[in-house]
Amino acid sequence: MPTFDDIQNQRDAELLARFSNGDRAAAMDLTSRLAPIVFAQAFRILGDRTESEDVTQESLVRLWKAAPDWQANRAKITTWLYRVTLNLCIDRLRKSNRNSGDVQEEVVDGTSSAERNLQTTERLQALQGALQTLPPRQKQAVILRHIEGLSNAEIADVFGISVEAVESLVSRGKRALASTLAPQRKALGLEDDR
Amino acid sequence: MTDKDLKFPPLHDRELRLLFDAAQQAAPEINAEFLERLQAQALGAVPRKGQLEFTTEKPSLFRRLSDVFTQRGGWLTGAGLAMAMVFGIFFGLNPPEAVLDVTTVYFQTESLSGFVGLSEEMGLYIGNT
Repeated sequence: MPTFDDIQNQRDAELLARFSNGDRAAAMDLTSRLAPIVFAQAFRILGDRTESEDVTQESLVRLWKAAPDWQANRAKITTWLYRVTLNLCIDRLRKSNRNSGDVQEEVVDGTSSAERNLQTTERLQALQGALQTLPPRQKQAVILRHIEGLSNAEIADVFGISVEAVESLVSRGKRALASTLAPQRKALGLEDDR
Repeated sequence: MTDKDLKFPPLHDRELRLLFDAAQQAAPEINAEFLERLQAQALGAVPRKGQLEFTTEKPSLFRRLSDVFTQRGGWLTGAGLAMAMVFGIFFGLNPPEAVLDVTTVYFQTESLSGFVGLSEEMGLYIGNT
């Protein structure tokens, strides 16, 4: 039985095929669906809205160029985009000679942030701060696995490494996060949730 | 040494999960104007259908005939030609009597030379066949 992901991927592939056949509505639909995903990934890695928008734009341009030759049996479109976006982000980080963006202050727009409770914001900032202390690969693997929700196999595809290597990266990243964040357990209200 | 021996024992998986949940809930939202720009860019990147047809499809026989008729007066011309063809076949199979006489004389004579007596007058000679 196909999973939701499978169905979504099939729908993306159909939209991309329609895009290649000149369907303008498909272009609009694909952009509306994929741009937020790409932007969120870029922003979590770069921590800068302007740079993340540049990366999003470039990633989608590459997808449009690849569309006419896209083969349905290739990787999932979102996985392909994660890889392209990740590489573009790494390029930018290298050029600017930094590990990643500063801790994000503006994570959500004004309307949404007003509605979120303080504890969620504090947890988010603490996690972002701890993520910055991880080596780049561990950080990217943890973000893709536990925030973006990719499977280990998909991350392996994105990184071009084995699933075992991904499991190792994620495991080490989580262990490091667990230690780094331990002193903040009480402040983040985690004790109450145990 | 166990976690209890540490001053700050590491977070458990469930506690980490709560932090990841917070990050998922607070997904950075894309700016609406930026999304519109991306959509405009996507529309500009849509391949034109005519280009694809020109490069990939060879017109069918029907399409080519249709083009010819269109250039030579449209489907009225095509219909006229088709009608003439139908009558031609019909007369070929069931010729009127006048036509039948001529063809009978032409094909049922014993020899062509006999039939073409005129040929002798004209100085032509066709041997028996």
